[in-house]
Parts: sequence; C-alpha cells; structure tokens
Amino acid sequence: MPPQPREFRYVNFRGVWTLYYRELKRALKIWVITLASPAISAILFAAIFSLALGRFGETMGGMAFATFLIPGLIAAAVLQRAFEATAFSLVFDKMEGTIDDTVRAPLAPAELVLGYTLASATGALLVGIIVGLALVPFGTPLPSGPWVTVFFAFAGSVMISLFAQISGLWARKWDHISAVQTFAFIPFVFLAGVFFPLDRLPPVGQLIVRFNPMFYVVDGVRFGMTGHTETAPVWAAGIVIAVTAALAVICLHLFATGYRLKD
Amino acid sequence: MSEPPAVSPRPPATYSEPAAPHIGSVNWRGLWTLYLKEVQRFLKVFSQTVAGPVVSTLLFYAIFSLALGGAVRTVGDVPFVQFLAPGLIMMAMVQNAFANTSSSLMIAKIQGNIVDVLMPPLTAGELAVGFAAGGVTRGVVVGLVTAIVMLLFVPIGLANPALIVFHAVAASLMLSLLGIVAGIWAQKFDQMAAITNFIIMPLSFLSGTFYSIERLPAAWQVVSRVNPFFYMIDGFRAGFIGRADADPLLGVIVMLVIDLVLFFVAYRLFATGYRLKA
Repeated sequence: MPPQPREFRYVNFRGVWTLYYRELKRALKIWVITLASPAISAILFAAIFSLALGRFGETMGGMAFATFLIPGLIAAAVLQRAFEATAFSLVFDKMEGTIDDTVRAPLAPAELVLGYTLASATGALLVGIIVGLALVPFGTPLPSGPWVTVFFAFAGSVMISLFAQISGLWARKWDHISAVQTFAFIPFVFLAGVFFPLDRLPPVGQLIVRFNPMFYVVDGVRFGMTGHTETAPVWAAGIVIAVTAALAVICLHLFATGYRLKD
Repeated sequence: MSEPPAVSPRPPATYSEPAAPHIGSVNWRGLWTLYLKEVQRFLKVFSQTVAGPVVSTLLFYAIFSLALGGAVRTVGDVPFVQFLAPGLIMMAMVQNAFANTSSSLMIAKIQGNIVDVLMPPLTAGELAVGFAAGGVTRGVVVGLVTAIVMLLFVPIGLANPALIVFHAVAASLMLSLLGIVAGIWAQKFDQMAAITNFIIMPLSFLSGTFYSIERLPAAWQVVSRVNPFFYMIDGFRAGFIGRADADPLLGVIVMLVIDLVLFFVAYRLFATGYRLKA
C-alpha cells in the first residue's frame, strides 16, 4: 500500500508536543546557564541585602524586607527566563539556518506560538520554584495564595514569551536581540518594583512603572506569596491578560505572514 | 596562409630571493596586530560590549540607591551613593576585561580560527601580552564611559588619582589574565558560564562593592580579606573617597603578586599549547 497523506484534523498535537519538547530540552540541556545561574544571582542579591546591609531587620512596604524582596526576585527570575528561552532559541535557529526545521514542519502559526510559549512558561515556572527554594535560608515566605502566585507567574511568562517571540522574529543578528534585552527588557524588569515599593520613586517614575506591564506581574506574585499588593490584584490580572492577548494577536500575525522568517 | 605575427620574447624576469622576515627579540608588528584585532573585535559590537555594560551598571546604581533610601544612608562618613559608585565602576571594568579575553579565545577555539593566532610568528609571551592588553583596554574603556555617565548623578571626589589608575589597570589585567586561563581551559560554553556564575560573579558581588566589610561579622571579614576582588575595589574606591577598609599598600602588593602569578600561568598555557594545539 502506498503511503497515505497524513491527516492532522484540527490541531497537530504531535507537532506541538514535539516543538514543546525540543524547546524545553534545549533549555534544560544547558541547566548551568538556565537553572543554576538565576538561582546564584538571586542568592547573591539576597545575601547583599541581608548580610551586608543589615536590611532584614528593617521593614519595607509594611513587612519584613526579606518578605518583600524574595517574591520580587522570584518574579524577576521567571520573567528573565521566559524572555531568554524563547528569544535566544529563535535567534539561534535563524542565525544557524535551522529555523527551516521549524518553519517547514506542518505546524500552523497558532501551533508554533503555542509550542514556543508553553515551553518557555514551563521553564520559567521551574526557575521560579528553584529560586524560591534557593532563597529558603533567607526566609522565602510560604505562598498564602499558591494559585494566585502560579497564575501570575504563568501569565507573566506567557506574556513575556510572546514579547520574546516578536523580538526574536524582528532580530536579524545577535546584536539586535541583545540590545532589546539589555536596553529595554532588563531595565523594565528591575525597575518593576522588584527591589523597592512604588512610593520610593518620584511621581514621574511611578507613572512610568504603572505603564510597565511587568510591574503587575511582580506585584501579583508578591500578592500571592505575602498578601501585600500595591494595586488591586483583579486590576493587575486584567492588565496582564489584556497585554498578553494583544501580544498574541501580533505574534500570530507575524508567524502567519512569515515576517523575517521566510524571506 | 600567413604566418602568425611574431611575439617578441619576454625578457627573463629577474626576481631576488625573498628575504627571510627579520623579527627582533620582540615581534612588535605581530603584537600590535593581535592587540588591534582584540580591540576591534569588541568595538565592532560596542552596543553589547560597551554601551550594554554601562546601562547595566547604571541600573544597579538606580536599584541600590532607590532601595536603600538614597542619600540618607552613609558608610562611615561617606554618603552611600559616593561609596557605591566606584565599586560599581570597578565591577563593570573587571567583568568586561574577563569577558573580552575569555570569549575571544573560547569562540576562536570553537570556530577553529584559533589557528590564525597560533600560526603567526608570535611567542607565548607575545600572545599573553596581546590578549591581556585587549582585555585591559575594554575594561578601562567601559570604566571610563561608566564613570563619565555617573558623574551626571553622583558627585565623585578625587583623593588619589595614582591609586585609581593603578587599580583600574591592575584589576583589569588580573581579570584579563584570568579570562585567558578560563578561555583556554573551557571547551564548551556551559563550562565558561559555570566559571562566570560560580566564581566571577560571587567574588565580585561579595567583594565590598555594596558595603563596608566592617559591617560584617568577624568570620565573614576574614573571608572577605582572602578575596582578591576586595583589594581592587577597596583600593580603587580609596582613590576617590580617601577612605579604605584595608591598608592601601597591602592592596597594591596583593594585586601585583596576583598579576605576576597569573601572567606566568597564562604564559605557560600558551607555551605548552594546553587545549590549544592538542
């Protein structure tokens, strides 16, 4: 019997799973860079603030400083991993020419976006858990609302992974993606209320931070872990979901048209 | 049928034998070429190698001054921001000096173009000096740009310029040499990342950039005094604010000794061809 054409029905589940699996495996294979390094930098930050500056006796945002800082460090690590996982993978494939393997596979734009996004979110949540465990000696608070914490960490990684897909498609060289990361992404993560409450900033700075969607992710994760929030959590969740939806539309459009992917 | 036009015979060429290139006791031209290659390598992507580190350093400055309450806090009798700024400049310098030599060797090894460096008539000493000088240049350039930008935010004093220059060069040299050793040793990017994350980052973060070691418990003070990064940052900072945790002379001696030892190690690695010519 001659080989029959394959049928995928509505969703090529096998294909999405394969892309997801490859992306996750790619990240975990270099675990020193992807898992250990975020944990080390979080420990270093916590060590500097606690041992050396004696800040842990003080309070910030109405709670012990460690309790304030640690959820922020976890959220920052999650967001950074979500960005790197997707952006570096895409740019690497584009530079090496192996992007063909992905583009030629029978995957619809939505399936590509789904595979990249879920793999990135899985890795990011894993990093969040590892950083949280690494910071236990400094007093990681036991999440008072575990599901709220997971929701914000997951929604935040999905949002950032979509942003990273757009950046990765746009970038033609390593320089481009590293410029997006160094000059736009990292400053916005670190100034999103990770290290200090909003009222430490001058009014203009506060306004800018309120336009930074990552602020709501950090605040949401902190709310889930400690119950402390600087916004209304429902409002924060709404903003994160709205931004994610907008980014998803852009991302689908870019994959569908093959922007800087098939030219 | 006519004869083809006669071609006048070309006169026999007279070439002189190519003379053997004469290289004195030091191959200055080769050394300069290697140095230039190393400098142009990072300048070509200056947005990653100079502008990026400057922005990250300013970000650290913003985080720490905001989180710690800005000018209210003092270390000894020095405002915290003035204490912090020199340490951050030094951290940027040494991290970039290390990144320059380690990534240059690493990438050349992985891509195979390391032969372009090994084949020319350069001795082990010339290779070590050329690579190290490239790293020092990147460190100093990043330090200078960071310092100039920081001057817009922090009034940085000047207590002892000689101490500043010495530590800027000695520390960049130390990390450049360390980068050579790491770049020759590492065979994969993971191994390089492990050195950066598990050795360089902790040593530079826990070096007293963000605090005076007087604040630490006694046991941790001893640990800090064994960390060479402590001496470079302490000495460099003393050049700006005129206040040091350790004896400045001790710092100078420590840096000189470490630089000499590391230079010898780098020299031996190039001379034996360890993981380069294997």
